[in-house]
Amino acid sequence: MQPVMPIVRQASIFSRPIGDGVVGVAVGAGGGLIQAGILHASLANSCLLGASFGLLFGLFFARRASSAGAGLIWGLSAALLLWIVLPTLETPLHADGRELSNMLDETRKRFPELVAYLVCLGMPIGIALGVRGGLHQRDLETPFRWGRAIVAGGFAGVASGLIFGYWMLKGDFFPLIAGWRDVPSQPEKVFLQFAIALTIGATFGLLFQRDVRGYGSCMGWGLGYAVLWWFLGPLTFFPLIAGTNLNWSVDGASQVFGALVGYILYGLILGVAYATLDRIWVRLFIQSDPLNREAEGPGFRVFRSLQWGALAGLVGGLISSPLMLATGVLPHVVGLGIHLSTQTGLLAHLLVSTFLGMSYGVLFRDEASTLATSGAWGWVFGLIWWYAGPLTLLPLVLTGEIDWRASAVFSLLPSLFGHLIYGAVTGFMFYVLERRYMSRHTLDPRMAAREARRVRPEGTPAPALWFFAMGLGVAIPILLG
Amino acid sequence: MNRFLRRGVLGATAAGVAGFPFLLSAAATGYDFAVGIVSGIAYAVSVRPARKTYVDQMMTAASLGIPLWAIANLFVIPILSGGHMAQSGDELRQHFPVLVEWILFGSIFGLELQALSDFVHYRFGPETSPAVAPPHSVRQILILGGGFGGMKAAECLEDQLAGDPSVSISLVSETNALLFTPMLAEVAGSSLEASHISAPLRSALRQTNFIRGCVTGIDLEARKVFLDGAEPASNETGRELEYDHLVLALGSVSNYLGMANVEKFAFNFKSLLDAIRIRNHVIEMFEKADREQDPEMRRRLLTLVVAGGGFAGVELAGALNDFAHGIFADYRNLAVEELSVILVHSRNRILPELSESLAEYALVRMKQRGVKFRLEARLVDVQPGLVILSDGQITAETLIWTAGTAPSPLLKTLAFEKNSRGAVVVDSSLSVPGYPGVWALGDCAAVKDGETGEPCPPTAQFALREAQMIATNILAALSGMPGKPFHFDSLGSLCVIGHQTACAELTVPFARTRSLRFSGLLAWLMWRGIYLSKLPGLERKIRVLMAWTLELFFPRDIIQTIELGGKGDHGVHATGNADSSTSIHLQ
Repeated sequence: MQPVMPIVRQASIFSRPIGDGVVGVAVGAGGGLIQAGILHASLANSCLLGASFGLLFGLFFARRASSAGAGLIWGLSAALLLWIVLPTLETPLHADGRELSNMLDETRKRFPELVAYLVCLGMPIGIALGVRGGLHQRDLETPFRWGRAIVAGGFAGVASGLIFGYWMLKGDFFPLIAGWRDVPSQPEKVFLQFAIALTIGATFGLLFQRDVRGYGSCMGWGLGYAVLWWFLGPLTFFPLIAGTNLNWSVDGASQVFGALVGYILYGLILGVAYATLDRIWVRLFIQSDPLNREAEGPGFRVFRSLQWGALAGLVGGLISSPLMLATGVLPHVVGLGIHLSTQTGLLAHLLVSTFLGMSYGVLFRDEASTLATSGAWGWVFGLIWWYAGPLTLLPLVLTGEIDWRASAVFSLLPSLFGHLIYGAVTGFMFYVLERRYMSRHTLDPRMAAREARRVRPEGTPAPALWFFAMGLGVAIPILLG
Repeated sequence: MNRFLRRGVLGATAAGVAGFPFLLSAAATGYDFAVGIVSGIAYAVSVRPARKTYVDQMMTAASLGIPLWAIANLFVIPILSGGHMAQSGDELRQHFPVLVEWILFGSIFGLELQALSDFVHYRFGPETSPAVAPPHSVRQILILGGGFGGMKAAECLEDQLAGDPSVSISLVSETNALLFTPMLAEVAGSSLEASHISAPLRSALRQTNFIRGCVTGIDLEARKVFLDGAEPASNETGRELEYDHLVLALGSVSNYLGMANVEKFAFNFKSLLDAIRIRNHVIEMFEKADREQDPEMRRRLLTLVVAGGGFAGVELAGALNDFAHGIFADYRNLAVEELSVILVHSRNRILPELSESLAEYALVRMKQRGVKFRLEARLVDVQPGLVILSDGQITAETLIWTAGTAPSPLLKTLAFEKNSRGAVVVDSSLSVPGYPGVWALGDCAAVKDGETGEPCPPTAQFALREAQMIATNILAALSGMPGKPFHFDSLGSLCVIGHQTACAELTVPFARTRSLRFSGLLAWLMWRGIYLSKLPGLERKIRVLMAWTLELFFPRDIIQTIELGGKGDHGVHATGNADSSTSIHLQ
């Protein structure tokens, strides 16, 4: 995480697009081969698809792949888009109603392709071109701090593993190793759980040090990275290690759906832990230096963010409350009892909304630079709270147990959209309040300079992250439920 | 073309083209198309255009397609078409095909919007930024005084002007910080650090040009203000400041009623430095008394006289009484019986600002805590070591004057109409009659309520509201609009009289003639809560809260932070108003 975000500049190397295209074709063709082997598909078709995807990615997306982490996120989102676009080419939009009604079933049947596109195409092509892009742009960016990435990421991984592991130990459920068969003893499970947590944490720091800039983006990246690890771990590597056949079907994925929620929560905790450790570093050793002092201290900004967040959250709660009432989830949102009256439920919903809005203010205050991006971050915030709230914390508070089975999660789907709308309104409102304040203070050149540094520049993988995290965060429960 | 209009047209075009194929779909409806158009316009207007960001726009718009699907197809469209919202996972699944279409729509829309934006940029040039033409003449608002009124007026003007570059605000103050006077007695009583109750004006006022200096004169005809010792600033020439609107918030100074000896020997109690001096002087008296062998002299050293039984005098007497009693633990040679904190007041009751019952309560409680009173006694004169009253005399080395104030002496040089106190008479809109563009508030103004015609008391509570009204009226004047009359009903008064003891008289909302009275611990908690909330700056609030918390567990500090220059040898202290005799040590 950088206190000052460097502007990503593209090296003007004539041969680079061609080289990117060649690398994309090569890696894509290789990924197509693997995909064909796993899915028992046509070798030629798979290779052709992989090579075409690699070529297109190399030509159009590789400019954005300025590091391995950025390339990975762009690659994954492009692969997801490919999975959505391809069947449309096969089944035109003007298909009749019968075909549309079968569309969900067809999409469910195509779930193995989704996994294949992500694991065999998007991930390797994105990383390969990202590494290549990083080498080209190495001299143009701020130095990458390996020690900080590994240490902060590793600590964050272990810390979140501790929180998560202790929590899971009670129920003898280790979501990070779900799908890993034949692990006989609990100490081995604990060891494996921590080994995977450490791996994810350290690689998180290595991959995304340049892309994340605050708690909110760390949580967003943690969410996206955790979803990838669910595809990699329980669906791919663990069966391979156990020597069993890969089962990428909807049924196979449904069996480890609970692990997805676990991975997502782990990713969120990892993001917060990484951001905290990184922020501590920045706060104690960089921002505390009088030479770096800004016109306003961080304490003032936190306090104001809390105020704006509370107001924004209240407005978000007010606007989302009709949806929550209509879908009958309001008492669950509150989580205080079984039978709440409408008035009491509404009041408690608004209180919780205000509190969550404050958390948005603190966590996401440095993320949005336009109204559109404020909505995108707000939606990510809403998605995060759906996984953390009704799926996890509320049942834990109410019953002491959590049910992450696909069927249970599916029943809570209507509340997801209430959360998304709440998040978006909160994000919009917070941005409006922040703009209103800054419009008065940017006459001060120091404040204007700080504001300019705060804006996320063009070219970061945030749009790709939104699409990947939002798309899979919403689509997977619908498909697997 | 206006940039938002241009973006909106591009958004509508891109959304129309991207959405057209979906009209042919069996899943999508005309409502979807309409929502797509509206969303496209909203999206295009809200993003900052950049060139050749095709994949960024594609992914962003595609990701926003997901929640749009939720809003449009699960909630808005079902309601518009007379149905009901999707309430279960199965109902939601029925709309899944449209989700795919929304994502496709978003990605195509993003690409098209970028292509259109690039084309328009290439063909017609970049967006026209809102013209920020430099205004022909910047209108100057000059505020004299950095007290409650001055700072609040600057804050309100900053808020209401919202960064308008055609108006410049300047504030001149002799100190670079706002002194939060309600807590001044706590500094004298060593309960709070001096800097904790001051807010730096430069940090608090981000859009105001702050100038530390002393106003030496005002030329009302030429509309100029003359400064002595002002810091050079880029937009001023020398020591003159021009103005279009002038706000007089000069506050008040101590009024010694013509008693030269009092002015010479007594401590003042108006500024932060006064409070620091008093605290250090009290410690100095204890140090001297501790080594003094003569019992009479010890009593004289340990006698602290406060003149004036208003809020300032009572709070100071209570704070000094607590402080002095508390530090006896560190002075083994002294006895509590030798200490006298005496409050002298010319009337038959203290705290005339409060109701009689609360004043009586304060008197009794303070007596119980050891404060002595000399009521209906006027201070007549002061000699070294001797305070002379109308009905006797007190041998004491310490006299603190809180018994009278007068508006800033600068006003005497101005040809305004003034009242008997010397305050500038203003009309109901707080402007000075006959001098357009000149306004006055606070202690230096004689303000009458615009509704009742009653004179407004010179308190911080009123000064803050007057400042708000002046800011509003100045902006109205700048727009050629008439000003509004000032009206404010007092919210009440609070006064601390000792450790965890206070009096509070709060006006009942909507029944201004009635009031609620509180005393003791509850009133003290109210005092602390209310004034802590009013203390400017989060950092100061935290510091004060921490100091108050620490005070519960640790004794007050008796470290002397300034040297008093040995003036205590002259009987009643001679450093009262002699600034040069005091030097501050950096610790």
